[in-house]
Amino acid sequence: MAVENRDPAVRLDRGFWLVTLLLAVLAAIGIVYWALLAPITSWLPEAVDKAQQIDSLSRFLMASGTALFIFVAGYLLYFSIAFRRRASDGPDAIGVQIHDNNKLELWWTIVPAVFVVVMAIFSIQIWAGIQLGDNNGMVVEALGHQWFYSFRYPDVHGEITNEMHLPLGTPVTLHVTSYDVIHSFWVPDMRIKADMVPGIINTLRFTPTKVGRYQIVCTEFCGTLHGEMNKQYLVIDTPQKYKAWYQGWQQKNAHASDAIPTQSTGAISLSGGNVNAGKMLFTQKCSACHALAPFSQKVVGPGLKGVLSDPAHPNLVDGAKATPENVAKILQKGYKGDMGQMPNQTANGLTDKDIADLVAFLKSTK
Amino acid sequence: MAVAAVHAGGIADHIHPEPEGFIRKYVFSIDHKIIGIQYLVTTFMFLVLGGMLAELIRVQLMNANGGFMTPDTYNEVYSIHGSTMVWLVIIPMLTGAFGNFVFPLQIGARDVAFPWLNMLSFWLFPPAGLMLYGSFLMGAPAAGWTEYPPMSLQGQAGTSMWCAAIFLVGVSSTLTGINFLVTLLKMRAPGMTYTRMPLFCWAQFVTAPLLMIATTALGAALAALFVERQFGVPFFDPTKGGSPLLWQHMFWFYSHPAVYIMILPVFGIVSEVFPTFARKPIFGYKMIAFSSCSIAILGFMVWAHHMFTSGMAPFLQLPFMVLTMLIAIPTGIKIFSWVATLWGGKIHFSTAMLFAVGFIATFTLGGITGVFLAAVPFDLHAHGTYFIVAHLHYVLVGGSLMGVFSGLYFWFPKMTGRLMSEKLGKWTFWLFFIGFNGTFLPMHNMGLLGMPRRVAEYDPQFQTLNRIASSFSFLMTFAILLIIINALYSIKNGKKCGHNPWNARTLEWQIPSPPHYYNFKHIPSVFANPYDFNEPLPYRGLEDELTDAPPPVPAAAH
Repeated sequence: MAVENRDPAVRLDRGFWLVTLLLAVLAAIGIVYWALLAPITSWLPEAVDKAQQIDSLSRFLMASGTALFIFVAGYLLYFSIAFRRRASDGPDAIGVQIHDNNKLELWWTIVPAVFVVVMAIFSIQIWAGIQLGDNNGMVVEALGHQWFYSFRYPDVHGEITNEMHLPLGTPVTLHVTSYDVIHSFWVPDMRIKADMVPGIINTLRFTPTKVGRYQIVCTEFCGTLHGEMNKQYLVIDTPQKYKAWYQGWQQKNAHASDAIPTQSTGAISLSGGNVNAGKMLFTQKCSACHALAPFSQKVVGPGLKGVLSDPAHPNLVDGAKATPENVAKILQKGYKGDMGQMPNQTANGLTDKDIADLVAFLKSTK
Repeated sequence: MAVAAVHAGGIADHIHPEPEGFIRKYVFSIDHKIIGIQYLVTTFMFLVLGGMLAELIRVQLMNANGGFMTPDTYNEVYSIHGSTMVWLVIIPMLTGAFGNFVFPLQIGARDVAFPWLNMLSFWLFPPAGLMLYGSFLMGAPAAGWTEYPPMSLQGQAGTSMWCAAIFLVGVSSTLTGINFLVTLLKMRAPGMTYTRMPLFCWAQFVTAPLLMIATTALGAALAALFVERQFGVPFFDPTKGGSPLLWQHMFWFYSHPAVYIMILPVFGIVSEVFPTFARKPIFGYKMIAFSSCSIAILGFMVWAHHMFTSGMAPFLQLPFMVLTMLIAIPTGIKIFSWVATLWGGKIHFSTAMLFAVGFIATFTLGGITGVFLAAVPFDLHAHGTYFIVAHLHYVLVGGSLMGVFSGLYFWFPKMTGRLMSEKLGKWTFWLFFIGFNGTFLPMHNMGLLGMPRRVAEYDPQFQTLNRIASSFSFLMTFAILLIIINALYSIKNGKKCGHNPWNARTLEWQIPSPPHYYNFKHIPSVFANPYDFNEPLPYRGLEDELTDAPPPVPAAAH
C-alpha cells in the first residue's frame, strides 16, 4: 500500500476535505437537533418515568444515526458527481486501481466497534432501569380480549372495561396477560409495551409522572377488529381524584355484585339483542367450551357456528328444535344429561339482556 | 490452440448432449440458465400479484376508517402480501433466479452440481405459489406472514394450506442451498481459488448454508402448526399445554437468517455492479467476503430480538441485543467499502449502477433503523408499529428489490443478448426511488407517534401521513410496471449488444450472450482476481468461445 500512497492519483484533494467539512457541519447540526432541540414531548407526552429514559436513548440513537447517514449519503452523492465518467474520458477510461487500504479499513472497523460498545452500554443502562426492579409497586392487571382490554385492581371484585385509572407518582406493577390470542398493551405516551400472551404473565413497572388521558393501543395482530383495539384509555389522575374514582368504582361494583343475575323464571324477551355485545360475551363466557366453528369441531361442547341455520343439526342437545327461543332456554336453564353438562344462567353470570345478545350473535353466524 | 488442447479432454470438458424438444429444453429443463430464467419469470409474476395486494392495502389505508375492504378481507390481503413477497418473490429471485443463472457461469462451471435436483427445486415452487393463492378460495390465512398462534390456530381452512405451501417453498430452498454449496465447493474452474471468486459467488456461497440450516427450523414449525390445526396435537395452544412462544422461537430462528438470505445475494450483486461501472477494483475484497461470513454466523444468534416484548427472561434480552448491534460492524464495513469503491472511479451511470447507488442510500437508512430496534428500550416503544413496517420495507424493497432491479438491468443482456432500454430505465429509477421513499419514509413517523401495524383502520391523526404514503406508492408501482414492460419489450426489440456490453471482467461476460447450453467450450483456467482493470483478463482457455469453433463432442456420441 505504501507505494500506492505515494501515487499522486490516490491523494485526497481539496474538494474531498471541503465536502468532509460540510458533512461534518451538517452532522453536527443533526446531532445538536436530536440531542437538544427536537421537541419530542410536544409530539408525544412523557406520561411515566420510563418514557423519559427511553427518550434519552432515542435522542442518542437518532443523533448518531442521522450523523452516520449524512456521512454515507453525502459521500455517496459527492463521489457519484465528482467521479462520474465525463465525455472527455472516453469509453475505456478506468479509475484509480486501488484494492484496499489497511489503515482506512482498520479505522472504519474500530470506530463503529467503539460506537457499538458505547451504544450497548448506554442501552444496557436504560434497559436496567426499565426491566430490573422489584414488584413492590401497586399491582394492577390488564387482560386482553378479542377486542378490548379489561383491568383488575386489588381489593375490587370484578373487572373494569372502559378506562384504566392510575394515581400520579405511585410506582405501579402492571401484570398483563390474555384471555384468548396474543394482544399487546402499549401506551405510546409511556413508550413501553408488553405482549399479552395467553398462559404467560408479562410485567411492566413504571411510575406515572404526568396527569392526562392516554390511548392504549394493541400492537399484536389479534383478529378481525385488531384495528379497533385503540379505543380505551389510561387515565393518570392526581392522587385525590384517583382515590375518589377508586372508591366510587368499589362501591358501584359492590352494588353490581349484589345484583348478580339470577335465573329468571319466565321466557326471556329476545328483542333488541345486540350482535357485537353478544360476540364479546361469547368469547368471555362460551368460548372455553364452544368453538365458533361448524358443529363437528367439538371442544367440550359442539361448535356453534350457524347453530340456528345448520340443516345437518336441526335439533339442540335437549332434543328441542334449534330456534332462538329454545337456545335461550338452554342458556337460561343450563343442561345436564347424557351429552355432558352446561352451567345455567346464574352460574354463567348472564343477565336476560346478555342472553338476548348471545342469541342475536349466534343467529348472525352462518 | 495449444492452450485449449491442454484443457480439452479433461473430466471437466465432458459435455452432455443438448436436450431436444420444447419440453425438455424450456419446461422441464436441467440447464441452470433456463431454470434461472424460469425462476425470474415466475418470481416477477408473483411480484405483480404481491404488488397488487400491496396497492389494495394502500387504498384501504387512504381513509382512517378503512371502508374499501372488510377488516377480514384486509387481514387476508396483507398476510398473503407478506408471504408472497418473502417466499415467492425475494428469496427465489435472489437464489433461484440470479443465483442459478449467474454464479455457475462466474466460476466457470457447465452447470450446477445436481442439475436434476435443481429442476426439482424449481418445480416445487410454482405449485407452492398456486397453493398459497388457492387458499383465497377456502379462506386465506389472515394472521400476517408470521402467523403467530393462537391466532393462526383460529384461522380459516386456508391457513393449513399456507403451511403446506410454505413448507414446499422451504424444501425447494433447502435443495437449492445444498446444490449451490456443493457446486461452489467442487466445481470451480482450475485456478478459481476462494480469493479469486467474484463477490457474487461469495454471497451465494454464504447464503447456501443459511438456506440449508435455517429453513429446516421453519419446516419443523410449519409441520407442527399443520399437525396442530388438522389433528389437534397441542404444540402451541396454551389452553392444552402448548406454548405460543415456541412458534415464535422456531419461526424467527428461520426468519432472522432469512433476512440475510434476502440481502446477502444483493450485496453480491452490488459488489459486481460497482466495480464494473466505476471501472475500479472493488475496495476491500477480502473484508467484504469476510464480513458476509460474519453476518451469516451472527445472523443465527440474534433471532429473539424479534421477541423483546413477547415475554422472555429480561437477562436473555441482553445477549440478543448486543449480538444484534455487532452486526452493524460488518454491515458498516461493506457500506464503507462500496462508497470507497466509487472514489477515484470513472463512474458510468447505467440504470444498473443507478439502482445500485440508490440501494446504498436506502439500505443504509434501513440498516440504521435496524440498529435502533436492536436496543431493547427503543424496541419496547417501536415494536409492532409502523416503524417496523418502514424499517423492513427499507431493507427489503429499498434494499433487496432495488438490488434485484440493478441485477436485472445488469444481467439482462447476458440472458437475452439485448439491452433493456436505458433511457426508460433511468426514468424508471427516479420514479421508483422517489415513490419508494415517499411511501415508506412517513411510516417511521406514523409508528413512533403510535400507529400499530396490521390494522384495517386507524386513529384519524395518522390520515394525512397515510395519504402521502398511498399516493407515492402508486408512483412506485407504476415504476415496477415500467421495468416489467421494458424487459418484455426488450426481449424482442432491445438493442443487440454483443457478449459484453458493460465491458465487465467476470467469466460470464467472456462467452456469447445468451450462452450455449454447455456454457464454455473449454473450461477456462483462472489466474487472478477479476477486478484489475489495468491488467489483461486473468483467464486462459477462452480463445474459442466467441468463434465458430465447435464444442467438444458430446459424451453420448463417444
